[in-house]
Amino acid sequence: MKLEILLAVVFGGSLLTYLLGKISKRARDILAILVLLAATAGIASLYGRSSTAILCTGFLDFPLVLRIHPFAWIFALTIAVVGLCAVIFSWHYIRKKGRTDFFYFMMLLVISSMIGIVLSGDFLSFYIFWEIMSWSTFLLISYNREEAIAAGMKYIVMSVAGSLVMLVGMISLYTQTGTLVFEGITRNLNSASSGYLQFILILFFVAFGIKNAIWPLHVWLPPAHSEAPSPFSSVLSGILIKIGTFGFILLIYGIVQVQVFVNLGHALFNVRNLLLLLGAVTILLPTFIALLQDDAKRLLAWSTVAQAGYMILGIAYGTSESLSGGTLHFFNHALFKSLLFMVVGAVEFRTNGVRDLNSLGGLIKKMPVTFAAGLIGVCGLIGVPLTNGFVSKWLIYHTLIVNHSPFLAFVALLGTWGTILYSYKLIHHIFLGQLPRKYEQLNAAPVSMKVPMIFLSLAVVVFGVLPGLPLHVINLSEIGFGMEPLAINMWGVVTGSGTIQMLNIATALTLGGIVLWLFFRMGRKNTRADQLDNYAAGAPVPADRYQYSVKFYDPLTSMIAPYLKDTADNFYSALARGIRNVGNGIRRIYTGDVGNYVMYIILFLAILIFIQLYWKVW
Amino acid sequence: MVIVLVLQILFVTLLSCLVGLFLIGLSRKMTARIHWRYGPPLSQPFIDIVKWFSQTAVSHGKLFDAGMIFSLTGSVVVVLFLPFGGICPLRGSGGLLVILYLMLIAPLGIALSAGEAANPYASIGVSRKLQLAFGYELSLLMILLSLMTYYRTVSIVDIVEAQIQSGWSLVQLPLVVSGLAYLLIMPAIMGIRPFEMIQAPQEISSGPMAEYGGKFLAFATLQHALNIYIGLSLFVNLFLGGGSNAGYFLIKLLLAFMVFQVIHAVWPRFRIEQAVRCLWRWPALLAFIGLIIVWVTTS
Repeated sequence: MKLEILLAVVFGGSLLTYLLGKISKRARDILAILVLLAATAGIASLYGRSSTAILCTGFLDFPLVLRIHPFAWIFALTIAVVGLCAVIFSWHYIRKKGRTDFFYFMMLLVISSMIGIVLSGDFLSFYIFWEIMSWSTFLLISYNREEAIAAGMKYIVMSVAGSLVMLVGMISLYTQTGTLVFEGITRNLNSASSGYLQFILILFFVAFGIKNAIWPLHVWLPPAHSEAPSPFSSVLSGILIKIGTFGFILLIYGIVQVQVFVNLGHALFNVRNLLLLLGAVTILLPTFIALLQDDAKRLLAWSTVAQAGYMILGIAYGTSESLSGGTLHFFNHALFKSLLFMVVGAVEFRTNGVRDLNSLGGLIKKMPVTFAAGLIGVCGLIGVPLTNGFVSKWLIYHTLIVNHSPFLAFVALLGTWGTILYSYKLIHHIFLGQLPRKYEQLNAAPVSMKVPMIFLSLAVVVFGVLPGLPLHVINLSEIGFGMEPLAINMWGVVTGSGTIQMLNIATALTLGGIVLWLFFRMGRKNTRADQLDNYAAGAPVPADRYQYSVKFYDPLTSMIAPYLKDTADNFYSALARGIRNVGNGIRRIYTGDVGNYVMYIILFLAILIFIQLYWKVW
Repeated sequence: MVIVLVLQILFVTLLSCLVGLFLIGLSRKMTARIHWRYGPPLSQPFIDIVKWFSQTAVSHGKLFDAGMIFSLTGSVVVVLFLPFGGICPLRGSGGLLVILYLMLIAPLGIALSAGEAANPYASIGVSRKLQLAFGYELSLLMILLSLMTYYRTVSIVDIVEAQIQSGWSLVQLPLVVSGLAYLLIMPAIMGIRPFEMIQAPQEISSGPMAEYGGKFLAFATLQHALNIYIGLSLFVNLFLGGGSNAGYFLIKLLLAFMVFQVIHAVWPRFRIEQAVRCLWRWPALLAFIGLIIVWVTTS
């Protein structure tokens, strides 16, 4: 499919969906799914292609260029597939709520603009799509009104700040190189000084870092993710913030070139080390903060911030193995995190909006499919072998260890161990433990929610066992960046200092599991017991009055909580307060009384005359 | 080739189970003797396993069963990754990093299985296990990173071979601090006193084990046996030079076990927050210094 047609289909499709919604709600839902199916098929057909298309030659005297290459392809495909899953998930979820036409329109618009961003070949079209994405995201975050408005405001203020910084960077690049087309910039940037390159990189890092929620630019993310409608949280967490990741890769590997990037600046104080440091902090702090959360979606949101740190670490490290790890982790994270938001969304849907982990429990008996999806999702998040997160994290750890950065590797590994704690908390509090009486009549998730959850769960497992599939595409994109590709096969990666071979691990785990299951079957048959029929050492467990998931990690969290103040958030709040006070001060001057303004003018003139008489300036 | 591999796998799995069960028996006997009691015979764990298998057990659901099988599978697979005195059936499949991750499966399986039981003691036990693991992983990760940085590999077989060439890691100058830190966290890894708060029989009725009876208890005991073996084997392979043959390896394993068993027999139990505080103080500090030393000397 041609790139122009692809964009026309998705953007036209979103408008058409909105209009069709005025006639028939059912037809609108089906059309939304069809549009994204077409987009998925269209993008899939572009596999392995590298081409450029001129969308329009003279928009404000700049050409608008579209291009496709393996690196854009994997992002575009992920966006389309996760978008499709989220739209299918919305079928039942959004029906209870109002303004559904608007919801579908914005949802498709966000997805279309993201596809637009990854397919852009110049900064102007990149910026246009970027702005469409930012504003439609704002409208969707604020969809639920009330608290969601505040969350949306926080998002859009930071987003606009990021866009402005990016605009400054673009203008500077244009004056320096005379073009906005990526290839032209790369060609003309060879002569640029190291200082200038670092300046440009930092400008764009602020813009992309806000989208990607790197510490200390992350503060918009936790409220936005928890207040947005759940299908959109999936999109937001799974792919939208990864557009920032895309920007990082594009800038470092596509425009500046990685050989230049790793040698920039002073040996210790350079932009690469700054990014690595921020990546490490982004892994560590949010992981610990996620431990303290009791709101399921907020916990996942903090986890998203932490996982973004892994991608930044992989991308900024600048070896082909680390880039593979970072990109693969983007891909994997998109699958398992959107899956997890759907799981929480399904629970929220059935329990009428309960997200508080302390008031759920035992739902495995009522929603077994949702539980299985959630379990696979958290396994992917932790990186349990046979799920996809394992390979991407392995690549990142391995490159950090063999290239002599043990402290970064330590932070990355420790982050994973924190992940286990909050992942288990999520699964345990929602699905395990005692089922409260009020949920005894709960129904399982509707089919429209099960289908995307099952699909994504399968994807998490398949790409965990066959990491060669995505790594093959990533290798193609690394060749496109002029880097040495990894030695991969279908089951894993071969390096000089350690290999990873999923075939062995998968065979051992499956065969071992089967043998032990048969062994287990050989024992005496067991009897089933009710949840209240359990051993309590002489102290019976009362039903419904016993919530033992509250303060699950209290001994640990009460120890670390004092050190985990979100200083960045406090700083921005103080800044906002300061600006408001200054604004209030300035407003006193503008009284609206003409007499006062005349007085100001006369005072100003008097000062000018005084200066002239005294110092003879003019 | 395939037959050799299959034989190796069977040999290592069975022998590690036997060793683990023997060590449980030995532990009970040693503790009893130090406490001036007679204690059960060494064969007691074997007798128990057979007995439990023939008893009717109570199950709380599908995950209750599956989690237990998953957990034991995880432990069995980890065993295949660890060199057993020159035999390592799954060498070249990812090395130490994979071992670290596979070691997660066993506690995760137990946690899921015990979670479905809806027993408050089981949940408290799991919560303690996860917190304790977080406590000692901080040091363990730094110790493993110092090893991997020092030997410049992620493969455990390579580390053992390097030690056969140049002597034990524990007595190599840059690694000795990390080795000391490892000694301090070993009781926590093995879950013995003073870090026994996960089971704490008198306090929370054996924690995660509270609901297990019959074949579940048999599986849980086998898993516990393998866990003891894995903890010791990792230490012996990484710091005591592994073994050039299986006998030599087992002797080192036994000696290391007896040292920690003496501590187990005479110490009281920490509370969980005391345990985490303790683990995050001296062992973490030592491990951090060790990592810095290795990092500086190898760069």
